[in-house]
Amino acid sequence: MVSTLADLEIATFAVDEVVEGTQTGWSDGRLTVSLPQLAVGAGLPALAEATVEVVRPGDPVRISNVLDAVVPTVKPDALASTFPGALGTGERGCTGRTNRLDGVAVLSACDWERSGFVGPDELPDSIVDMAGPGADRSPFGATTNLVLRFVPANGAHVETVDDAIRRETLRVARELAAATIGLGPRDVETFRWPPTDHADASLPAVVAIVQVASEGPLTDTFWLGEPMRGFEPFEVDPRAILDGWLISGAYDWAAVRNVTAAYQRAPLLRDLLAGHGERLRCAGATLAPGYLDTAEEKQRSAELSAELAARLGADGAICTTFSSGNSHTDTMLTVRACERRGIKTVALVCETNGGLTDHVPEADSLISTGNEDELVAPWTPARVVGTDEPARAGEPVPTWAYLSACSQMGETTWTAVPT
Amino acid sequence: MIVHYLNQFFAGLGGEEAAGHEPVRLDGPQGPGRALAAAGASPDVTLACGDDRFGEHEADSLRTLLGWLDELRPDVLICGPAFGAGRYGYACGVLAREAGRRGIPVVTAMTPDSPGLMAAEGAAYIVPTSSNVGGMKAVVPIVAGLASRLASGAPIGDADQEGYLPRGLRTMVRADRTGARRAIDQLLAKLAGDLHTEVGPTRDRVPPAPALKDMAQARLALVTEAGCVPQGNPDRLPTRHANTWLRYPIDDRDSLAGGAFESVHAGFDTTAANADPNRLVPLDAARALEREGAFGVLHGAFYTTSGVDTPVAAAARFGREIAAELRAADVAAVILTGT
Repeated sequence: MVSTLADLEIATFAVDEVVEGTQTGWSDGRLTVSLPQLAVGAGLPALAEATVEVVRPGDPVRISNVLDAVVPTVKPDALASTFPGALGTGERGCTGRTNRLDGVAVLSACDWERSGFVGPDELPDSIVDMAGPGADRSPFGATTNLVLRFVPANGAHVETVDDAIRRETLRVARELAAATIGLGPRDVETFRWPPTDHADASLPAVVAIVQVASEGPLTDTFWLGEPMRGFEPFEVDPRAILDGWLISGAYDWAAVRNVTAAYQRAPLLRDLLAGHGERLRCAGATLAPGYLDTAEEKQRSAELSAELAARLGADGAICTTFSSGNSHTDTMLTVRACERRGIKTVALVCETNGGLTDHVPEADSLISTGNEDELVAPWTPARVVGTDEPARAGEPVPTWAYLSACSQMGETTWTAVPT
Repeated sequence: MIVHYLNQFFAGLGGEEAAGHEPVRLDGPQGPGRALAAAGASPDVTLACGDDRFGEHEADSLRTLLGWLDELRPDVLICGPAFGAGRYGYACGVLAREAGRRGIPVVTAMTPDSPGLMAAEGAAYIVPTSSNVGGMKAVVPIVAGLASRLASGAPIGDADQEGYLPRGLRTMVRADRTGARRAIDQLLAKLAGDLHTEVGPTRDRVPPAPALKDMAQARLALVTEAGCVPQGNPDRLPTRHANTWLRYPIDDRDSLAGGAFESVHAGFDTTAANADPNRLVPLDAARALEREGAFGVLHGAFYTTSGVDTPVAAAARFGREIAAELRAADVAAVILTGT
């Protein structure tokens, strides 16, 4: 495909090594980070303290209280369009060049409980192990991570603090990727939407129904910087999701919520776009709310998603799931609504030891992204980053505590089998 | 070390006339143990017990058998194969469960409808067999293979791959493709008429209970998963991932006052519920209906847990335990409030 100005081009720069230095820069796989230059947390009254640490795969470190994980990204030709709305104030385009660093992630961490913003056990553990028996659970156990630890200022409002943390995290992600501006990437992927290439009309048209939840402060998802609370299913340009329009601010169940990186990478959307004209016709993507409060809302939203998929001409649909339990019902009802319209549907779900919380007969083709109840053997890290608490050191850790371990966006190869 | 458990018949102690045989400990492989030995899993010690003896004196028989296991500390215990023999299968299942709880890996074999399957409670690898001994040749290599690997600490693959009956666990493994790619492949296959799933349908479908015949006489109970507890949560009901349920008396109450009860459920905004806990457990409405004679009498306690991210297995246990207690108290109907 010859790319045009209207295409999104994602240029990937490999990072094999991260070192600290006086000037942030990227050269030949080496990312040099100047912590003073990044000045994390400077001039932000909502934050009492911000510290930065680089941790690498194999380090005897547990990162705890992880809020989000972001792939370092910049729009080199339109800096202010990077993470539009959530950070950038520029034009909201999901076209042109986007530079990404591969092999490194920016992780934000904050101990909300210790800072008095939430009660005990209100937010579950969120862990990344860089070594030990749980190192392979989170995909971020395999990336070099810049961990930003934030301590809220006394008396600051929770949404103000959370907003400051999110902006700082996205800003650092942008600053790191900005080191690649003007340099040559390892590879460039081109994404066109809508596809103009002729696709055989006999190929099945497939829609991705991407579920997100936005329930309030600390459990929100942001679209162009705005919390999505109360939204109805709508069609999205798949490039917008890949290009940073969808940002996570939801800090519940670590293994099964979607971090920002899950949207940036969105392998389901990439694979659908890549398969267009070859195995299928990519009929687009929609966003659907999960974790809805009432049966009526769930039913209605499922019907709206199915109607939307039908309007997009879908022969088939793939539903992703955000979190588990409650939202599995949203997924199941959506599968049922699609199937009843003749749209063949597959859903990605995470299991528990006792099976699924909800399962309709129409959901006859499911992908398991793992068993969130499986215990990982105890490990005592040499160091804990992100909290002053022991963070389950020396205890078995349930898989649900590992960030993105069972992501139902389908990024990892984890699954569960009967034993 | 490999220990093998057999009934009186397979241990060569006699037929039905020897079914009352006390537990015995024998050296080396006996009966089917020789076939196991030939297949690479040679028993060092054989334990045997008469089928009736085990069934009629279970506690005593177990005490003796487990005493030997505690002394021997085998690397693996093989029980059976029991095929379709009910008493033998049950003994294999019970011994497997108790050995499994002691940390001893266990392999056994029986028909999938054997009472031993339930008795084992997922503690053993159970290889399915035909109902009679004609299936010996087919099952021995599978049992011997699993036993040798368990004895050496080698990993065991999934149930389909290895040929045992699922123990009710779902184990995390790596697939050959990402979830996204598997979803697309599976959808395209489904569209082409080739249906696959990685998660089978649940077998735990609950049919609606039949209508009550005599509502006016019925004892009614209130049960909730809304995390409703006395103010301050004196019994420390977990706010999520609950491992227990609680019971609180309501004999002397006509309603649940705000400030006296609260919800500790971590899955929803409890502000409105705490202002009026009757919306968690509808005691006010139940008392009004009781006075009107809409049903017989309200049970003297309500039952509560916090249903948020509770493993289904734990939730099923809560249900069984609460239902058993309600049944014993002659409760005919329940209003179960959810969140």
